[in-house]
Amino acid sequence: MDVSKPAPSLLDKNHFALRRVHSLLGIVPIGLFLVNHMLANSTAFLGASHFNHHIGLIHDLPWLLWIEVLFIFLPLAFHGILGVVIALEARYNQNRYPYMDNWRYTLQRVTAYITIAFIAVHMLHYRFAHWFGIAANYGDAHHAAGGFYGFTIEGFQSGLLGLPTWVWIVIYAIGLAAAVYHFCNGIVTFCITWGIVIGDESRKRLSLAAGALGVLMLVWGVVSIYALATVDPETITDDSVETHTAYVIEAPPGSS
Amino acid sequence: MAKEIHVRIKRQAGPDAKSYWEEFKMPYESGHNCVSVLMYLREHPVNAKGEKVEPVVWESNCMEEVCGACAMIVNGTPRQACAALIDELQQPIVLEPLTKFPIVRDLQVDRQAMFDALLAVKAWVPIDGTQDIHRHAPLISPKEQDIRYLFSRCMSCGCCLEVCPQYRKDARFIGPAALGQVRLHNSHPTGGFFKEDRLHVLMEPGGIADCGNAQNCVKICPKDIPLTSAIGELGRQTTIQWLRDLFVK
Repeated sequence: MDVSKPAPSLLDKNHFALRRVHSLLGIVPIGLFLVNHMLANSTAFLGASHFNHHIGLIHDLPWLLWIEVLFIFLPLAFHGILGVVIALEARYNQNRYPYMDNWRYTLQRVTAYITIAFIAVHMLHYRFAHWFGIAANYGDAHHAAGGFYGFTIEGFQSGLLGLPTWVWIVIYAIGLAAAVYHFCNGIVTFCITWGIVIGDESRKRLSLAAGALGVLMLVWGVVSIYALATVDPETITDDSVETHTAYVIEAPPGSS
Repeated sequence: MAKEIHVRIKRQAGPDAKSYWEEFKMPYESGHNCVSVLMYLREHPVNAKGEKVEPVVWESNCMEEVCGACAMIVNGTPRQACAALIDELQQPIVLEPLTKFPIVRDLQVDRQAMFDALLAVKAWVPIDGTQDIHRHAPLISPKEQDIRYLFSRCMSCGCCLEVCPQYRKDARFIGPAALGQVRLHNSHPTGGFFKEDRLHVLMEPGGIADCGNAQNCVKICPKDIPLTSAIGELGRQTTIQWLRDLFVK
């Protein structure tokens, strides 16, 4: 540690705050967004009309673009860019010192890189594909055959980039696993960083809980991907889907 | 039992010299440790090929794993050479200098960075007067004494820095050893007078935010110091200090 440094840069001056904000953003809003996103995906199990209705509600939020930018894109960019800077500091040594926690440290950084690559693919796939003329206009997804549900299924089955559906499923499963690991292990490091969890016993308990959450989220996410990728788009008719009355939510007027 | 003791040492003539491996063999005797083997080789500086060579340079003092001077990498594990018993080691015994510090010569490294870190965080208890202040020493509960004792055993050997994936020569991270000492001295009634100063140092670049939670330090520490608990505790102390800086100042 260099204690005789001249005037510190703005970044150095705010070093601690930047690292703490980085840590916090991983949980709120990014981690919460991940859970919410997976919840939205899993409405596919209730049928096309539920999925379409749920995604429609999100699309009908006021100031949606601002919400997207302020609570998803900017936090992701901040967490991702500073995260890469942090990850580049690492001098991995899990082969020489193969403790489980050391592997977790290495995996936290490896899954970060995978997740960044996956988010880029995922956003090009479903958010910005129309920029490249390789998919229907995202804004017009309501009007795609089968609505948002059809739009999502189409994304998996259209043979985008010449890749068959199963390859897309594998890509999404890997991306999901990386994001879930990074989030769940991140909960543990968040709790250590902020001093929420201190002792060895508490840390062990927290790690077990985070591991259980990770397994749960992984299974939950994989079945959602499978559900969204393997439906025959021809069979989607919004109103033909049987729904349990307990889950029925009145569609907003004007939507079909 | 082996009839001889076979040692492989990573040597280097000076700070900028190229490193090389040299093998040594000495007659077996029970009860040897790595330092006593090096002492024998100092008296008999002859390598396995029978050539007379410069004696191997290393550091050691106490011979009872409390001074930290003889830390080196023994068969791939950073530890105190004096406590590494030959009868418990697989041969050939491979000795390497610690890699996170500048090499002085052979197995001797310069651990000045560790002492600079202790200075930076004021790892001491200030005296409360050079004359009689007519007060008893401040009380510390026996429970806290027990915890503090664990941290007081740090001998600045550098094993925790050796295994830390965040610590390296050219990086700013202060390393787990100094963090343990901040935990120790912040919890002392008089040492706590410097608590805010110490925490502010830990909130600079290279401070506690640069810990990556790999938790190797606590596993390798030859004195079983609960370093990760110290880091968690200091995470809490810096969180509170940060909020205080933000909202109270």
